[in-house]
Amino acid sequence: MEQLTSEPNYDVPDSTDWLNTPLSALMPVEQAFRCHVCKDFYNSPMLTSCNHTFCSLCIRRCLSVDGKCPLCRKTDQESRLRGNWALREAVDCFKECRASILEFARKPAPVTTAASPKRKAAEVEDSEDGAERTPKRPRRSTRSSRSRGAEATPALSQEEVYSPQRSEVADEYIPDDGLVACPICWERMKLQAVDRHISTGSCPGAPQPQSQLQAPISNGASTRSTQQNFPSTSKAKPQHPAKVLEHLPALNYSMIKDQPLRKKLAELHISTYGPRQLLEQRHKEWVTIWNANCDSAHPKTRTELLRDLETWERTMSSAARTGTLYGTQAALPQVKDKNFDGASWATSHDSSFKDLIAKARQTKKQAEQKAKEASEPELAPVVQQPNEREMAHRESGSIDNGGGNRYHNEIIGFDGAADFAIPVTNNRADQAQPSPAADSWLLK
Amino acid sequence: MSSSAHRRLLQEYRALTNNPPDGITAGPVSEDDFLHWEALIQGPEGTPFEGGVFPAELRFPRDYPLAPPTMKFLGEVWHPNVYPSGLVCISILHAPGDDPNHYEHASERWSPIQSVEKILISVMSMLAEPNDESPANVEAAKQWRDRRDEYEAKVRDGVRRSLGL
Repeated sequence: MEQLTSEPNYDVPDSTDWLNTPLSALMPVEQAFRCHVCKDFYNSPMLTSCNHTFCSLCIRRCLSVDGKCPLCRKTDQESRLRGNWALREAVDCFKECRASILEFARKPAPVTTAASPKRKAAEVEDSEDGAERTPKRPRRSTRSSRSRGAEATPALSQEEVYSPQRSEVADEYIPDDGLVACPICWERMKLQAVDRHISTGSCPGAPQPQSQLQAPISNGASTRSTQQNFPSTSKAKPQHPAKVLEHLPALNYSMIKDQPLRKKLAELHISTYGPRQLLEQRHKEWVTIWNANCDSAHPKTRTELLRDLETWERTMSSAARTGTLYGTQAALPQVKDKNFDGASWATSHDSSFKDLIAKARQTKKQAEQKAKEASEPELAPVVQQPNEREMAHRESGSIDNGGGNRYHNEIIGFDGAADFAIPVTNNRADQAQPSPAADSWLLK
Repeated sequence: MSSSAHRRLLQEYRALTNNPPDGITAGPVSEDDFLHWEALIQGPEGTPFEGGVFPAELRFPRDYPLAPPTMKFLGEVWHPNVYPSGLVCISILHAPGDDPNHYEHASERWSPIQSVEKILISVMSMLAEPNDESPANVEAAKQWRDRRDEYEAKVRDGVRRSLGL
């Protein structure tokens, strides 16, 4: 069990990361930003009618199982869910700055001469970390140490953002001239002049130059653009694309017969393959992920959703491994389909193709060698081929979905699709047979 | 391939390693199968189980956390709420829909907000305080109710044997 932690893939961020750092008080803060069901950061948080919040996908899944709030077990309906947008924003901001705060908490910043007088003396002992400081970001550490001086609770650092002392930060960009920046437009002036500047309306209001904006609000995070600093305003626009996504209605499966259900699935352009129970589950899952996607600030494309559905189908079906083929085949336009976008497929999977070609060549070479060395029949390499593929498959199955793995999966789906030219539903026997057609195609 | 069950278990595993609760260790048996965990529970102090270490396996359904896992002690555990096979019978492991014994409150049963940690803590307190309303091991329940001395002696004996003493 122990060695698992060393694997980078198991290094998921968790609220317990704050333990054993000086900022352990942030653990409950982070916990408050995490969904009770998936334990991950809220993704499109939704309020139930009993005032509990969950990710859209989580609560929709729960409600579709037993129609009750997982926290208080009050009955609720999907249609009564409302988006918790303030929380969504808070979570997004927290996620944005989490890494840098944690980095700071783990490797306390060195004391610099420019550090504010608010800094606590206790920090001096951390100065041995001077070597850690990268020349690129000395300023950031200065700022971080200041927020730590203020005990770095979110509330306090928030205060600090808007306190006049924040003007020190502007010194990063403008030499210390004894002036302060207006908190609104960041124009520099004498401290006494600020009040009048604002109240008489001579302040233009909107912050003008970008470079002056970044520092005060980003608060040490890696955000380096105006857009990220003002999620409430500038992010709001792209959040609502012109085409508003419509929620899908739920179906009462006991009221609908097989044929109309298949028709419904066909209308949604999802697979109509499989027994009745699977059709119901698939429709339910599609409605759930579709509706959750409608609540998202950054909705996924239909293709991405189809891929999610495919992943779901693969993990939920009892034949998790063999399920790949019809899942892929059903969900996305296949190689043999008329509307298949061959060019984009080729470009996006270029590296995988190359890998496969290299692998196939290697296998062929090995086969030849073996044939030379031992007088064994050519059976050995043929058997080896599916093994190798299965291993790749297993690899991609066991590891959290990295980008590379996804390609792996797809490429498996792809040459599986080549197998599909033989109209057989996928089963073990079929897989055990190597696909000579696909291999020879790769070798060309 | 990354299902929600997988992600959630990864998260729980991370939390359990970073901040392990007293007397409890748990983690996946192998990285190939995150739906199969093994756990070690220390016998609660002040009970006849004190001093013992009880290995158990947890098996998670594919739709975890919508449905609860099952838990089974790998060694012999003489307890009113543990089947002779080792399977643990406790309300937190029962989905709200199925109540095999018709006595559990819905509020005590499985909900997606529960976790491995909460299950193991519940099992620890179950070891300390058996629930004899619907025993999984009738003999153990009778003994616990009527002849407590015998029950405790038998449990202690089991603990000693499991430790190879």
